[in-house]
Amino acid sequence: MTSTINMRQMEQKLQRADRKQSRLYLFCNFMALMIISAYSALMLSPTVQKVFPEGGDSRKQMYMIFVMTLLGCVVFTIYALGLFFRHKSRQLGVLMALGASRKRLAPGLYREVILLSGVSAILGTAAGFPFVWVIWHAFRLFLVDSSDMVLTFDFRCLFISLLFLLLVVGFAGLTAWRYLKKTNIMEVIREEHINEPVKELGRWCGPVGFLVLLAGAVLGYGAPWACIAWFSAYPPAWVSVLYAPVFVGLYMIMLHTVVHGWKSHRKNPYKNIISRSMMKFQGKQTVNNLLVVTLLIAGGCFAIFYLPTNGIAAVLRYASLPYDYFYKYQADQNVPDRTKIEALGREYALSLKDWNECDYVTLGMGGMTRIEEEDSLRFHDEYVPMQQEAMVLSEDAYRMITGQEVDVEPGTYRCVTDQEETSLYVNNSAKEITNMTTRKVLATEFAGYLHYDLLAEEIPCCVLDSADYDLISEGLTDDWRGRFVAFNVDGKDSYPFANALFRLFVSSFDESCERPSYYDRVQKIRENEEGKEYWGDTDDMTTIRYEMADSFMFRNFWVYMPNFRILNQNDYLRNMAVMFMMFLFIFIVCMITALVVCYTRCQSIALNNRYIFDDLKKLGASPAFLDKEVRSQCTNVFKMPALVGTIAMFLLYAMILYANDGRLLKPEWAAMGLCLCVIVVIGGVIYAVYRSTVKAIKGQLQI
Amino acid sequence: MLYVKQLFKSYEAGKNKYEVLKGIDFHVAQGEFVAVMGPSGSGKTTLLNCISCYIPFDKGNIKLGGVELAGMNEEELARVRNTKIGFVFQDFMLLDGLTIRENILVPRIVQGEVPGEAEKLADQLAAMFGIGHILNKYPAEISGGEKQRAAVARSLINNPLIILADEPTGNLDSKSSRAVIETFINAKQKMNATIFMVTHDSFAASFCDRVILLKDGTIYRQLEKWEDRSVFQDQLLDAIKEMSVA
Repeated sequence: MTSTINMRQMEQKLQRADRKQSRLYLFCNFMALMIISAYSALMLSPTVQKVFPEGGDSRKQMYMIFVMTLLGCVVFTIYALGLFFRHKSRQLGVLMALGASRKRLAPGLYREVILLSGVSAILGTAAGFPFVWVIWHAFRLFLVDSSDMVLTFDFRCLFISLLFLLLVVGFAGLTAWRYLKKTNIMEVIREEHINEPVKELGRWCGPVGFLVLLAGAVLGYGAPWACIAWFSAYPPAWVSVLYAPVFVGLYMIMLHTVVHGWKSHRKNPYKNIISRSMMKFQGKQTVNNLLVVTLLIAGGCFAIFYLPTNGIAAVLRYASLPYDYFYKYQADQNVPDRTKIEALGREYALSLKDWNECDYVTLGMGGMTRIEEEDSLRFHDEYVPMQQEAMVLSEDAYRMITGQEVDVEPGTYRCVTDQEETSLYVNNSAKEITNMTTRKVLATEFAGYLHYDLLAEEIPCCVLDSADYDLISEGLTDDWRGRFVAFNVDGKDSYPFANALFRLFVSSFDESCERPSYYDRVQKIRENEEGKEYWGDTDDMTTIRYEMADSFMFRNFWVYMPNFRILNQNDYLRNMAVMFMMFLFIFIVCMITALVVCYTRCQSIALNNRYIFDDLKKLGASPAFLDKEVRSQCTNVFKMPALVGTIAMFLLYAMILYANDGRLLKPEWAAMGLCLCVIVVIGGVIYAVYRSTVKAIKGQLQI
Repeated sequence: MLYVKQLFKSYEAGKNKYEVLKGIDFHVAQGEFVAVMGPSGSGKTTLLNCISCYIPFDKGNIKLGGVELAGMNEEELARVRNTKIGFVFQDFMLLDGLTIRENILVPRIVQGEVPGEAEKLADQLAAMFGIGHILNKYPAEISGGEKQRAAVARSLINNPLIILADEPTGNLDSKSSRAVIETFINAKQKMNATIFMVTHDSFAASFCDRVILLKDGTIYRQLEKWEDRSVFQDQLLDAIKEMSVA
């Protein structure tokens, strides 16, 4: 029986026969687009944008890792496309050899690659949204939920996916065009077996790579600091280029891994020779892939380390607070008094003890401030009277609330900082203090630090000699006066009580106190008097509303946010939920991308070296030997990026923690310990994927 | 039929340039079965790839059926490959997703619609080469010898001016090799096919009318068969021995 087929039918039949290869390409494209679409959807969602401070480090980190993920996705889509064409090239070459012209082959080839890339890209883009929705809601269901975590999308994020989609489809079309343009048909036919050796460097390149990597990390991290400290200038954008040696170093390390391996072969030069040579002759792509995987794993670690570092610091801080309940309020607010709070306590079967309260005043303090020059790059420090507001206590009040003995000389002030003196909100350069009602000015000078964590807040806190305090606070209206209150619970504390007190406390404030801690009333008055508009009156970021009392913004930035230990401990995860979930999501995305790149790389090594394994079988290699060879190939792909990515990021993190204040504090040591535990878990996940990759490849090679 | 004149071809590897063909001159007549032999690196396969227009050559002339190949554009070269040349690869190069019948018909399929007569021809060729019973099978289901005979049938489907064969018996056992050579002889005798074959195998070459010996990119010697095949094989072996010490 005969069955006539035409060109189109023949192409369709060949495509059906190649569906395994097409599936890999579809899978890679789909994954890349899904990851990009999910990441950009979450990154640009109003839910996340609202919580991540504009211009803040966390937002920069989120964007930076996105760029890295994007790079990873670009690499593995291009790579998957390369794999697809390597396989396809034999078929194309045979058809060319049998007289099919470019014109004849072009429609079918373009149709196939554009359809494959287009469909997978569109499906991937569409899948990104349910993917992020499912993960986000799984977080909400199983980990933590808060009012901040209601997920909304800004569909402008599709613009990024669309660009990537065009890149994928465009690149597929371009590659097809390049293949059709080839004049050497034998090259097209043999393409599948063409090696891609990498340019070799000596055995020195690995160790030197580590040094270059270290130098890049120190240089990149230190350069902005040097700009500010030595040249009184903001670091220009190009300073980031100083991180470039990190990438050069990483490349050298990966090159060494691929070309030489890290074990000495002097004693037994033939050991693993097949595995090493296979790796070497696929070198170019392997090195690039290992580099991208390393960066993705490092990016993932950078994101996930945020959780233990911040979490442990908060846990230790809450545990060490001297009072169960500590809060302040403006004197003109109708805040519940002791009787009312004790009555509330009784409702929850609690009795209160160690009740302490004291007055404070808010004054204008002079201080050094950074003045930008006209080019907005350079700056100089200048003394400005009434530079910022400060909470000021008398010696007696400070003694009362803290229990610490203190003696402040008249005409001086002492700044309150935390036990480790790491607080950024201290003013040690004031020459005078101003009463903001009467505008009376008192000359003063810095006389050292006092240490009390609960008073080391975003608004600087100072202590004056009691006579100086009385003198300068005379005539102050109640909106510049306030009161600190502290007490403990006798016995076991109750979260419902803390929660009820918090709600009662918030509801007792009027709208004049609806402001964040970084809204500086003194600075506003000064700027208004100079005829300028205060930035805080123009920026949405300074908006705080009582009805959003459970939001990240409110809990972290409301100026009168109380410190209730049990409330903080219980609600910490909820308050930070969006931040934590975003970083957890970034980690998941980076790891998925890295593992997909590793998997496809191992697949291609197996595919390209299939004939070597066949030859080895013919030469009598045992299954155990072949198994070892496969493992050795896959180990190189998984192990080195995992080791370098995790360890390099751990060291970088340690460096950042150390460079903050030139020492490592107890919470930082604890955070580093937790980070090490996270690395062990990451290692476990990578190992599991490595095992299943080896299994899959052995199946393909019939070992 | 085929005229090759002062053919030069070189490869570049990094900064180095390797001259592979250094002024090759020969011709093949209609209905002639010619083999090219020579040590590895002598330029046999490169010569074949230049004639089949698979790779571009540096200078020289190749005339096939009176038509000059140098200077043709891609479209014209594709037409020559499709209609004037039949090619047999060492590793068969059958398309895995197509049946043997479809593989044989590929050169017709790429022309457009396949007329009924082409299908009949495919069946006749298959029957002539002893592979009629496997026409509906896929390459993975048949032996190496059968694959190569299918490849020879494919090379003849467009009734080309010449069949170019690159080590057609290189991947086969002696029984299958013999079957493939007989296929060529069959094609020559029954269809007056012109065959130009590169081989390492003196046994396969001994069936040819003429053997061109290549050494270092030039023609070392040409031998014609006047006598019995086995005598010709001995002559070939002597000439190869002589070439290797020269």
